[in-house]
Amino acid sequence: MSSSSAFAKGSPIRRWGPWLAVAVVAVAALSVAAFGTRSAPTAQDRVSSISRTVKCPVCSGESVAESNAPASQEIRRQIAEQVQQGQTDEEIRSFYSAKYGQAILLTPSASGVNVLVWILPIVALALGIAALVIVFRRWSSMPQERASDEDRELVESALHSDEPANESDPHGEGASR
Amino acid sequence: MNLALGRAGVTLGLAAAILGAVTVGYGLIRHRPELVRLSRWYAALVFFGGLLAAFAMERALITRDFTLQYVADNGSTKTPALYNFATLWGALEGSIILWALILGGYLVAVVLKFRKRLADPLVGWALFTMLVVCIFFFWLLVGPANPFKSFSPPVGFDGPGPNPLLQNHPLMAFHPPMLYLGYVGFTVPFAFAIAALVTGRVGEGWLLATRRWTLIAWGFLTAGIILGSWWSYEVLGWGGYWAWDPVENASLMPWLTGTAYLHSVLVQERRGMLRVWNISLLCATFALTILGTFITRSGVLESVHAFTTSGIGVSLIIFFALIVLTTVVLIGLRGDRLRSPGRIDSPLSREGAFLANNVLFAAFAFVILLGTIFPLIVEAINDDRVSVGVPYFNRMTMPIGLTLLFLMAIAPVLPWRKASGELLRHRLLWPAWIGVASMVFAVVVGARGFAPVVAFGLGGFAAGSAGRQLVLATRRQGWRGLVGRANGGMIVHLGVVIIAVAFAASSSYVRQAEFTLTQGQSAEFAGHTLVYEGQNVKIEEAKIVNQVLIRIDGTGPWAPSLNKFANGNQTIGTPSVRSTVTDDVALSVIAIKDGENGSVTVRVTVQPLIIWLWIGGGVMALGTLLAVFPGRRRNPIDAVSAPLSVEPPKEPTGATA
Repeated sequence: MSSSSAFAKGSPIRRWGPWLAVAVVAVAALSVAAFGTRSAPTAQDRVSSISRTVKCPVCSGESVAESNAPASQEIRRQIAEQVQQGQTDEEIRSFYSAKYGQAILLTPSASGVNVLVWILPIVALALGIAALVIVFRRWSSMPQERASDEDRELVESALHSDEPANESDPHGEGASR
Repeated sequence: MNLALGRAGVTLGLAAAILGAVTVGYGLIRHRPELVRLSRWYAALVFFGGLLAAFAMERALITRDFTLQYVADNGSTKTPALYNFATLWGALEGSIILWALILGGYLVAVVLKFRKRLADPLVGWALFTMLVVCIFFFWLLVGPANPFKSFSPPVGFDGPGPNPLLQNHPLMAFHPPMLYLGYVGFTVPFAFAIAALVTGRVGEGWLLATRRWTLIAWGFLTAGIILGSWWSYEVLGWGGYWAWDPVENASLMPWLTGTAYLHSVLVQERRGMLRVWNISLLCATFALTILGTFITRSGVLESVHAFTTSGIGVSLIIFFALIVLTTVVLIGLRGDRLRSPGRIDSPLSREGAFLANNVLFAAFAFVILLGTIFPLIVEAINDDRVSVGVPYFNRMTMPIGLTLLFLMAIAPVLPWRKASGELLRHRLLWPAWIGVASMVFAVVVGARGFAPVVAFGLGGFAAGSAGRQLVLATRRQGWRGLVGRANGGMIVHLGVVIIAVAFAASSSYVRQAEFTLTQGQSAEFAGHTLVYEGQNVKIEEAKIVNQVLIRIDGTGPWAPSLNKFANGNQTIGTPSVRSTVTDDVALSVIAIKDGENGSVTVRVTVQPLIIWLWIGGGVMALGTLLAVFPGRRRNPIDAVSAPLSVEPPKEPTGATA
């Protein structure tokens, strides 16, 4: 056991050391996860990931990857061809939106009125957080309420009387705090 | 006979609900408790009416009484008994019977539970509200969704049977009733919230009276959602379990607001704050169940669950508007009483965490609502068609989900009122190590990618935090440390973590491919070997099953199939799934070629950890049950929050509620 003051109880190293270790291991694991070698997606993986973003033109709400309709099977085959020809994911997707209209893509484009579907949730979340910040500001500037002698008397009398204070409200639920 | 019985039941239910609402309402306004007490008889009659209607419909289905339009449309002599029984909720009109029956059941349960307080205006107004909701649903059965229409079948008539998808897996018998028990269950706390607003008793009394009801409804809704996704995984054969389909979204939205409510209600119970917010959340939850029914049943959005386009949509949307209007007006009128003088001292406190939780859950529900109805909005604005699908929902909800996991790790260790950094550093160290260890483990077994590994780490962190609470509680109280709301809640958290990890893993590392194989041929995919052995044809009464026999890694044979139903020319595939604790291999047949070599095309989907989704669901259900179980009674004068500006104790000494 070290008796040096840097390792004494309550010293910054004793307090923060374990957390530093947690952080180092976490960063190491995450960087391996994010930048480590991984097997490149095969053509098949690309086909299935693209077809998951293209809507089946004849069914309701299913993607081309999920649907078994002949039209979807045909599009899957086409996508496989396009991947073979070396087209990028974006090129393939825009090919289908040009052919069938933008409703064929399950991800709405970020243009025109469609921007709203991406922006509104962020705006809503920002408003929610702003509201929290504002109420906390207000709360922290509020004076701390202390019990007055009057309050104490009220409690005292309530504790010593057997009758409920209010006939119509025996449980005192209507009383505001 | 069945027709007369069913109509009698529906009429009885409607009449009892109307008379009951009038009597109870009059009694409440004129202070005539003897009239208000009559509610028990009306409740019994409403329930009996629903029971009679359901009984008549089941009897008609079982005896194949085709003089009922509903049976003629959805029944068939060939349907097996289980699916025939489940046909009650297999189409729109029948599902409203189930709804009305469950509503009547809850009504009777409330009357029984509060039998000694029936004259109490709070209970009286709650029963009044429930009776009004009953009027609406029984009215649907009389008018727009009448299941008891007559039909004159020609000689030798046989119906088409239920939708083939709905007679392909036994889960169909359990998922809809569970879901409806959840949806309808939220009527009870909603009714009490309205009663609290009307009587002005907006304190904590109504919350305490309904907290177990809310929890039970929430538990059923959770179970219903998970069973539904299990059903879709086992039946639909596209390899997934959650498609962000409008009907799935419709069930998830009330679940999200309900979950937010279950947390924020704790702040009100403890601190008397957030009254308006809690009432709004509860009313939003109830309103969303109606809106969800509208979205899925009216056919405004295309969905596999939209039974028919019918006049029911207008009624539902008007009812929805009425609920929202009533709530807003009542809250406006009671504004003075709803204000509470309390304050939350610090964002770094249990109540602060609950507030953050609520903002996130509300945002989550908003994203889903927006994404679900956005195609309608765009169409209304510029007459354009647009689709919002899986990629959108996954991308938008992932950051919210990860933040919620983080919050799940921090919040359980936070004390009420105010936490110090010292306390957090002390309490969170072990959970943090568990989180880091799960990240390292994931990376070692080959997981790559930033988002999924963060999800695994946060999952471990949250599990550590929940586990820590459970360990402390069981050390202190023995087995009672596993029951009660706080401890049961931690078990629910563990279930949520299991599901979150399984969801992250299965959606990040899914591999899918199609193979066309001739007999005896094998294929290698994602570390599994598939061998196509041959076909097998089974002829059943309702369908012809063409099975494709495939060995996976030498096990099996597994038999995905294409089913041709006797009625209708639809061919429905049934997938076959080999589940192990590490990964699932799901097979579904895409095509069977006739001809000499008889090749088949199968789709193979390999996803890790799928089985843990269902296990996590089971853990959540178990946790809910334990939470409903009464926990240790807290001594009312025990300290439950850390004292202000005093060094907090090393470990919590008082029990948490």
